Amino acid sequence: MALFSVFQTTFLLALLSLRTHQSEVLSEPLPWAPESLKVSINSTHQCLHLQWSVHNLAYHQELKMVFQIEISRIKTSNVIWVENYSTTVKGNQVLHWSWESKLPLECAKHFIRMRSAVDDATTPEQRFWSNWSSWEEVDVQNSLGHEPLFVFPKDKLVEEGSNVTICYVSRSQQNNISCYLEGVRMQGQQLDPNVSMFNLYDVAFIRETGTNIYCKVDRGDDIKGIVLFVSKILEEPKDFSCETRDFQTLSCTWDPGRDTGLLKQLPQSYTLFESFSGKKILCKHKSWCNWQVAPESQEMYNFTLTAENYLRKRSVHILFNLAHRVHPMAPFNVLFNDVSVTNATITWKVHSTGNYYTLLCQVELYGEGKVIQHNVSVKVNGELVLSGLQPDTEYSAQVRCANANHFWKWSEWTRQNFTTVEAAPSEAPDIWRNVKSVQGYCVVTLFWKPLTRLQANGEILFYNIVVKDLDRPSGLQLLSVPAPANRTELTLDQRSYQIHVTANNSVGTSPASVLVVSGDPGDEEVEEERVKGTEGGFSLSWKPQLGNITGYVVEWCDRPRDPPCDLQWKHLGPNTTSTVISSDAFRPGVRYNFRIYGISTEMVPHLLEKKTGYSQELAPSDNPRVVMSNLTSHSFTLSWKDYSTESQPSFIRGYHVYLKSKAGQCHPGSEKAVLSDDSVCCKYKIDDPKQKTFVVGNLQPESFYEFLVTPYSAVGEGPHGAFTKVTTPDEYSPMLIRIILPMIFCILLIMILCYLKSQWMKEKCYPDIPDPYKSSVLSLIKSKENPRLTIMNIKDCVPDTIEVVNKHEGTGKSPTEPEAAKPTYLYLLPAEESYSGPGPCICFENFTYNQAASDSASCGHVPVPTKAPSQLGLLTSSENLLTALEKNCMNSLEEIPAGESSLNYVSQVASPMSGEKSSLPTNPPQPELCSEYKMQMAIPLGLAAPSSSGSSSLSSITLLDEGEHYH
Amino acid sequence: MQAQLLWRTLPSLVLGLLFLSMPAMGSCSDKYPELLGQLQKQADFMQHTNTLLDLYIRSQGLDKNGLKEHCRERPGAFPSKDALQRLSRRVFLRTLDTTLGHVLLRLAALEQDIPKAQDLEMLSVVKLNIRGFKNNIHCMAQLLPGSSETTEPTPTSPGASPSPTPTLDTFQRRLEGCRFLHGYHRFMRSVGQVFREWGKSLSRSRRHSPHQGLLKGARRMQLSGRNKRLMPRVQLAPGSHRGAPGG
Repeated sequence: MALFSVFQTTFLLALLSLRTHQSEVLSEPLPWAPESLKVSINSTHQCLHLQWSVHNLAYHQELKMVFQIEISRIKTSNVIWVENYSTTVKGNQVLHWSWESKLPLECAKHFIRMRSAVDDATTPEQRFWSNWSSWEEVDVQNSLGHEPLFVFPKDKLVEEGSNVTICYVSRSQQNNISCYLEGVRMQGQQLDPNVSMFNLYDVAFIRETGTNIYCKVDRGDDIKGIVLFVSKILEEPKDFSCETRDFQTLSCTWDPGRDTGLLKQLPQSYTLFESFSGKKILCKHKSWCNWQVAPESQEMYNFTLTAENYLRKRSVHILFNLAHRVHPMAPFNVLFNDVSVTNATITWKVHSTGNYYTLLCQVELYGEGKVIQHNVSVKVNGELVLSGLQPDTEYSAQVRCANANHFWKWSEWTRQNFTTVEAAPSEAPDIWRNVKSVQGYCVVTLFWKPLTRLQANGEILFYNIVVKDLDRPSGLQLLSVPAPANRTELTLDQRSYQIHVTANNSVGTSPASVLVVSGDPGDEEVEEERVKGTEGGFSLSWKPQLGNITGYVVEWCDRPRDPPCDLQWKHLGPNTTSTVISSDAFRPGVRYNFRIYGISTEMVPHLLEKKTGYSQELAPSDNPRVVMSNLTSHSFTLSWKDYSTESQPSFIRGYHVYLKSKAGQCHPGSEKAVLSDDSVCCKYKIDDPKQKTFVVGNLQPESFYEFLVTPYSAVGEGPHGAFTKVTTPDEYSPMLIRIILPMIFCILLIMILCYLKSQWMKEKCYPDIPDPYKSSVLSLIKSKENPRLTIMNIKDCVPDTIEVVNKHEGTGKSPTEPEAAKPTYLYLLPAEESYSGPGPCICFENFTYNQAASDSASCGHVPVPTKAPSQLGLLTSSENLLTALEKNCMNSLEEIPAGESSLNYVSQVASPMSGEKSSLPTNPPQPELCSEYKMQMAIPLGLAAPSSSGSSSLSSITLLDEGEHYH
Repeated sequence: MQAQLLWRTLPSLVLGLLFLSMPAMGSCSDKYPELLGQLQKQADFMQHTNTLLDLYIRSQGLDKNGLKEHCRERPGAFPSKDALQRLSRRVFLRTLDTTLGHVLLRLAALEQDIPKAQDLEMLSVVKLNIRGFKNNIHCMAQLLPGSSETTEPTPTSPGASPSPTPTLDTFQRRLEGCRFLHGYHRFMRSVGQVFREWGKSLSRSRRHSPHQGLLKGARRMQLSGRNKRLMPRVQLAPGSHRGAPGG
């Protein structure tokens, strides 16, 4: 126990002694403590650089040490970073260490200190640290200058997605400062009264020129900012590969990926490193680089491509055998030899690959719309025979090669063209004919289709046509038609002819096509059938013909409406009874007519069937031109005879007659229809397309109607265009017209007759006034040989008798009765002795004057009053009477007032006459001594009174009874 | 210091070379009105901000509220309109030529900050226009009477230095570039107005004396140039000071 106590005491003393020694050691600086610590800053990179040395380390001594570094911000107690930096220290070595601050160094003071220890990796917990160095203060704000505001960090480069801390330093605490990121205000955190910081997280690329961040004093014009250059992340190169074309150069290519967007501020470089040779090159281009193949024939290559910029480094690797990355160069000297009608030989050369490799070459032949591929193994020169070619055909051949043992890539193509030699046409031309009979001759239009390239085997120069008279074998006719004509016209007589057609090129003649044209075209009447076409064409079928038929021909026109109609035909085999005719020329709404011919063994075509149809029926586009006739008060007739149903865009099935009326009622046989303009009308349906007249009946007289005739077909009816207006007449007008027109005709006829017989009428009704000098009386007088008789001057004649002719009006007697025509004479006889006239006068009646007077309105005869002595007395004086006569009646009757227009005619003084007008008086009532004319005059009644007082030579007036005398 | 010296001497050197090379560029038109009209139209064209400033603002992201307001010409960067009007014709042309030479150098510097090829193409067109304009200035100077006389000192344009001090950070350089281009367009507008006044004085001279109008105006202008120091407000030609307000 005592021993134990002694041992324990000794141990404690020893421990105390050791501790004491240790504390003595620690109280002094360790021999390897850090010294001469200097701190510098790199504002651009926000880095603190520390530089120090180790105390008392011998020149030759090398010691592994660890340095503990503490960094505080703003104040020493605010430690923000502690790091142990291990390194091997040699004597007198200056040590360096850097630290990058997240916060721009200008934004706050930083304090740094460090201590050291020998780095014993086996017992790290037993390190004996030196004393801390004193704090080194880093305060950049003091060196900023005197501007009122600063923003940091300047022109910083970051990748997108990074976090960035920004701060501003203000010189005045009074300023209220706002900071913005691309115009958007940021919320910050105050570090001290003059400094605020802003944390930006996950920054994005905005533009190549960087992101503008700026701070402004709210009440001031000062603005400070920074540009934060945000780069897109550098991508790893893609599709990195290397190959050689000549075993001298390796060409390496890659896809650099998207641009970082900051090529000016953040240039990127590409380096190529080959690990076997240890060589490294800096590539001048961003997507390719050339590597010189080692002359010592290095087979394997291990390349590392490194893309690098300030912020990031990306690498890719490839390992390959050079022989497996051979990309041959394009073949050259491609030639064609021995080109014939159907064969050609192609030869080519390839670039040397050291004679160690066999190349696989591919030959592609383009021609006739198809491609033929051949594979050939080649060492140096290649050759291939191309066979089965078409004559006179242009071909294109191309060649490429690749490494036959280790395929990597084909070379580029090398192409050449060649054309095979011509041959005689291999096929007979496809011919057809169109026969017309003109003035006893057959006009045959012969058509043929141009041979295809495959058939022609060269350029067709001309067509030979041989016309052979079958009835007269010696009669041959040869025509040569130059290409590219496809028809010719032959005028033949009514006999049968065999026509041979051949096509010729520069090498030879084609087989002949034969066709027989007989005098009888054989186009007998064949009933036409309708077929329904589709977009794909017309499906035609016909009855098989018994007997020797070598084939069939279907004939049609592509443009039936436009002459020449572009005749088309199709040859079919003898066992064919149906076909589909299609053509790009077929149009909807056009009627196509097909004729099917059977070709006999004698090559004579016979018409078998006719078909007609539309590829697509369309509704009629036009309405017929309608003529209206037989308009009555109850009906009218419509006709459209000139409407052709053949030229319509569909098969016309009939017509619709629309009738509009105000009444709106439809009679039996019609139905109501509502038009597109919502108007209602009556519709009559005509089911027969050949019926082109229609009587619209049951109409109302004097009513207004509108009508429209439109055709209809399976796909619809014609347009509802303008209606034609019509108004029915009244019922009686036609009847009146039937009466009046004949009457007018008759009257006209009579008038014409009268005109033609006017002379006769005149002679009968209005004979000429007899000329006294030519009177028969004169001859009578002469016959009595009275020398005293002469024609008196009217002045010499003193009236002595007035003959008054009274006309009974309203007596009912016909004026043609003899009594009525019997004049009444008033004789003016000499009553005074002084009368020295030649004696009694003979009075002649003038019927003409009588008649005229009776017809005259102004000088109408007025019955002379029988009891008018006074008036008569007025006429006693012949002078007065004459005067009156001369003044009033002889001048102008028109001057006589209407009220005074009643006249008394005074007849020529003569012996009274009675009986027939034409006969001379046989028993004159008064002395017949006087045979002279008296003046014939008219005396107005108004003048009679004043003249009564005048003297007159008339001795008396005899007034005849009114009922007996006419004037 | 060396850099500053270089920045000072380089414009003069370039300008001198340019003037020396002018005759080699081709013959000048001897039609004064035609040349004046061309200069006026070119100045009118170059004053439009869409030819340069708008492009710059857009490419640099300065088209944001709070930034646009700071893109204003710094006073003194370019001669004011009044200052230009006070100059004799000859001095005016020389000032214009010198200033545009500075502008060309500054544009070359700004080119570094324009990454887009499309924008660079437009900038090169602007530079071509300025060179053409300078050539016309040279031709106009030859048309002025006494062109062979000793050249008068060119007033310096303090603000139109080739580029801002290199110590400026990108943001400040960007703003300075914007302000410079703003001043450039304003300057060209003032130049256009001065040329317009020249045109008015020409037409007025023609009305009074068609044959000697130009000569008179030129003589008056010469006198004005000689007496510039004594009478800074002496008119270049009748009515030449009554230009439209601007600048």
